[in-house]
Amino acid sequence: MHDGSGLIAVQNLTKQFGSVTAVQNLSFTVSPGSVTGFLGPNGAGKTTTLRMLLGLVKPTSGTATINGRPFHQLGRPGRVVGAVLEAQGFHPNRTARNHLRVYASAIGVPDAQADQVLGLVGLSTAAGRNVGGFSLGMKQRMAVATALLGDPQVLVLDEPANGLDPEGIAWLRNFLQSFARMGRTVLISSHLLAEVEQTVDQVVIVSRGQTMYYGPLEHLRQQQQRRVFVQPSDVGALATALREAGVQALEQLPDGRLAVSGVDAKQVADTALRAGVSVYGIQEEQADLEQIFFRLTSGQFVGHAPAPYQQQQGGWA
Amino acid sequence: MGDLVQAELRKTTTTTLWWALLIPTVLIALGGGLLSGLTGRTFVEFFSSSEAEQLSDALGVTPDQWKFSLLGIGRTINLATMFPLIFGALAIAGEVGTRTITTTFLTAPSRVHAMAAKMMVYALWGAIYGLAIIGFTALGIVLTSTSGQMPDAGGWAMLALVCVLSSILMTLFGVGLGALLPNSAGVVVLLIMYFLVIENALQLGLRLSGVPETAVGFLPNGSVDGLTGSVAVDLFLADAGVVPEEGVYWLRVFAGAGGAQAWWLSGLIFLAWVAAAFGGGWARMTQKDIT
Ligand SMILES: Nc1ncnc2c1ncn2[C@@H]1O[C@H](COP(=O)(O)OP(=O)(O)O)[C@@H](O)[C@H]1O
Ligand SMILES: [Mg+2]
Repeated sequence: MHDGSGLIAVQNLTKQFGSVTAVQNLSFTVSPGSVTGFLGPNGAGKTTTLRMLLGLVKPTSGTATINGRPFHQLGRPGRVVGAVLEAQGFHPNRTARNHLRVYASAIGVPDAQADQVLGLVGLSTAAGRNVGGFSLGMKQRMAVATALLGDPQVLVLDEPANGLDPEGIAWLRNFLQSFARMGRTVLISSHLLAEVEQTVDQVVIVSRGQTMYYGPLEHLRQQQQRRVFVQPSDVGALATALREAGVQALEQLPDGRLAVSGVDAKQVADTALRAGVSVYGIQEEQADLEQIFFRLTSGQFVGHAPAPYQQQQGGWA
Repeated sequence: MGDLVQAELRKTTTTTLWWALLIPTVLIALGGGLLSGLTGRTFVEFFSSSEAEQLSDALGVTPDQWKFSLLGIGRTINLATMFPLIFGALAIAGEVGTRTITTTFLTAPSRVHAMAAKMMVYALWGAIYGLAIIGFTALGIVLTSTSGQMPDAGGWAMLALVCVLSSILMTLFGVGLGALLPNSAGVVVLLIMYFLVIENALQLGLRLSGVPETAVGFLPNGSVDGLTGSVAVDLFLADAGVVPEEGVYWLRVFAGAGGAQAWWLSGLIFLAWVAAAFGGGWARMTQKDIT
């Protein structure tokens, strides 16, 4: 049986839907005691990865395990892992309480647990109503309630904030953090870093089915670099002068400007002055987490000629 | 496993489908019973009338021993089991449609466990529908025919047995097909069309093209109809005295057992169809990516 470690391990996971490669050689682990964000733009392969982890989709290759075991070897999976998935369904003509009682018996927990989780997600008063009449946010709360039925050690949530009102999001955020603080494991996906930034400790960032970054959010924050955009009279001369001054992170932008990372505007201007290069314009920009996320996920990470920042922001919004 | 069976049972009792389909089932059973009883009575009265006395004598008919009402029972059961068939078809197709299948698979040790629990629960429902069908068919016959027209206790027991068996098998055939074609509307329309229209046309085509009559008994509806129809004919013949061979042929066709094998063999043939549908559906559901 499973080892009770609360560890999620994804190893060289690949999924091919016909000619579409949804997930490509993805690897990461999620440890208990923290909330891990699983981030990437739409179509990055998040849902497919989580569904492979939960035994709903068969991987083309690679493995995904919870507590050291593939999903179907967990024995009583409902007591080990709870999941909130996109497009997880409800019978429209079944009441909330009955829905939960159905799955309470499947998991093998007492019926009282159904009312307990309804209370936990704030749906006690709607217990006797058919789920078909619920709003999107209420259904999302129902999905969370269903996931919590078996008092699981591991929670997997696929874009759970969709449809939730601000109060619901705040509740979920607190809930997940305290859940993790109890030494349990939380993996939560989102296409918006901002949405989970305050909730997660670790992040796995994926794009086009591949891992782009995997580690503590703190490290990512430290990567936040200042960039200086300078419009010199002679790009070549300024670049040479900057390299001599030990600045290597230079990029020439298509519009003739030079993007310099890791220094401030004053340093660039002083260097230009010493090299006898005129500066027609200079701008300093601090890339925030969201921009780093965008750079990671748009596959234009350092080394390639990126589009100007402004354009990126436009594309992001 | 007990937990999963309870969960599947709850799924069926917490929505209205079971009684929404039970109502037409009961109405058809009752209507079929009434009609069978009336038909039987009409035949007996016709053959007993002075005008037909000569004909009866010529044919060796002893009207009071011809339990014509029996022959409609097989037909009635066959028609009424369309509803448990639909009930079964929606077991998995419905869950795929509402996407509760995701939660079902997430809370079961394996898909095989979930499917097995479903199979047990739907077999139980098949039996419940079957009991309702034979009960109301019998009620209809009792209301419209004379005691001489009815089978004895053993005969009723036998009819009840094949009716329940037929209903269970039809339900499971539906479950299998619903897993194979997990689209509620699609699979229901297909099944209704097949059992009411397509196979009848196929049977007619086979008969007209000179294929041996017994081929019909190997088709899905031909075999499941034969399971109940053969028993009805057997019970009829047991009391009817000498019936000419040509007469037996028409009796079987009338009872819905035309070309069918003995009741138990017909049951086994349909069981093979159920196994094929279930096996296919099982394979599909254990492999399918739930996205
Ligand atoms: N059942 C499917 N059949 C074909 N392609 C699919 C299927 N599910 C997902 N995809 C494709 O796989 C890619 C990843 O999708 P998904 O995992 O849903 O991404 P995300 O959840 O990150 O938005 C997309 O290109 C999507 O179109
Ligand atoms: Mg998704």
